[in-house]
Amino acid sequence: MSEAPEDSTLDIRLLAASAHQKAGKRALEQEITELFEQWRGALLRYLSTFGLSPHDGEEVVQEVFLSLVSHLRKDKARTNLRGWLFRVAHNLALKRRSAVGRTAGTGADVDNLPHPALNPEEQLASNRRQRQLSSILHALPEQDRRCLYLRAEGLRYREIAEVLGMSLGSVSDSLGRSLARFQRADER
Amino acid sequence: MLREDLHVSDQDLLLWADGEVTSQRAAEIQRHVSACWTCRARRAELERAIADFVQLYRRELEAKLPPMDGPRALLKARLAERMASSGAGGSNWFSGARLRTAAALAALLLVAGLAIRISQHGYPRIYSGAVPNVTLTPGAIDPIGVQDVCSAQFPTNDPAVPDPLRREVLREYGLTEVSANAYEIDYLVTPQLGGATNIRNLWPQPALNTVWNARVKDALEDRLHNMVCSGQLDLATAQRELSQDWVAAYKKYFKM
Repeated sequence: MSEAPEDSTLDIRLLAASAHQKAGKRALEQEITELFEQWRGALLRYLSTFGLSPHDGEEVVQEVFLSLVSHLRKDKARTNLRGWLFRVAHNLALKRRSAVGRTAGTGADVDNLPHPALNPEEQLASNRRQRQLSSILHALPEQDRRCLYLRAEGLRYREIAEVLGMSLGSVSDSLGRSLARFQRADER
Repeated sequence: MLREDLHVSDQDLLLWADGEVTSQRAAEIQRHVSACWTCRARRAELERAIADFVQLYRRELEAKLPPMDGPRALLKARLAERMASSGAGGSNWFSGARLRTAAALAALLLVAGLAIRISQHGYPRIYSGAVPNVTLTPGAIDPIGVQDVCSAQFPTNDPAVPDPLRREVLREYGLTEVSANAYEIDYLVTPQLGGATNIRNLWPQPALNTVWNARVKDALEDRLHNMVCSGQLDLATAQRELSQDWVAAYKKYFKM
């Protein structure tokens, strides 16, 4: 007679543990989905600079957020999540790019992207200017371009240094050097 | 202390604009720039260059972004699958003794299946294991040390496998009749941890369609690399764990 209450207690504990696990799983799924909604666009933009197709970029983003499951289960894993997301995306993009054998580059044709607020004459001048800037950008070494892309996505110098495996000073030098080239183009 | 007659350098202007200087230095630069038209003009030129780049970056890439709904639904489905397979909140059926029994049965079936295939064809025609054949791929190591693999100059990605070597690995594993895309020719011990870049360290890893796929192994390699470079694990142990049974190593280091 004494076993019945013990079994019931055990069942209740197992049910409680199971409910706790399920709630934890739901919370983790929810957190990852929200992070996906927040960062997918930025990551896709950055990934497309590796010359990956939209499909390949999307696949890499999926891999990044699936890897996030195990990352978020670690202690202190929520510090600098943005840097972690870009670092994993960067490494996966390099792997995928070498697997599919494509070269870096955005490949966008700026003439086909009309600016909504410009008349045709202004549009022409704007396109000429964009082509000039685009040629400056694509003439930069890849590491310098990556520093610019990551900074444009809002990463701090420390985060950029971690993603690209550079020192803080090198990030600062790289950004300064690249912006100086854009400034020289403004002076022409 | 910044002297009033000395202009702020380009580098400091950028660091200041990006909020990357100390508060004391920021105050010094702010004081100087407030009083100096030249430096204010240079700051404006810098901001214009930044605006030029951001406009170019957004204009080239923003139009390419596909809608969110499909990818979000796909991620949710994959997350559910991932969490179920890793046991987080999964069904009680996959727990304790039952899980161990199922794993043992699956291992027996896999070994039996491979044995039959090997007896018929020399090597399996369709290789589906998560771990490599140790005879073909023992996990060759290069003679480099921790200082090398943890150096900032050390490459952060594995070198691409040349096509002839890729074909040779597939041939060695009897995979000449299957789609090469189904397998990633992977280094057993990642070169980022001293693995050699020859055939004795390469094997065809199922690309996506198993639980223990290339993506999972990448996560383990990242973890081990971090542990080695932070002094929590010695390099030889990391290499041995990867070459002997990376699946067991994954379970150990991700505490599954």
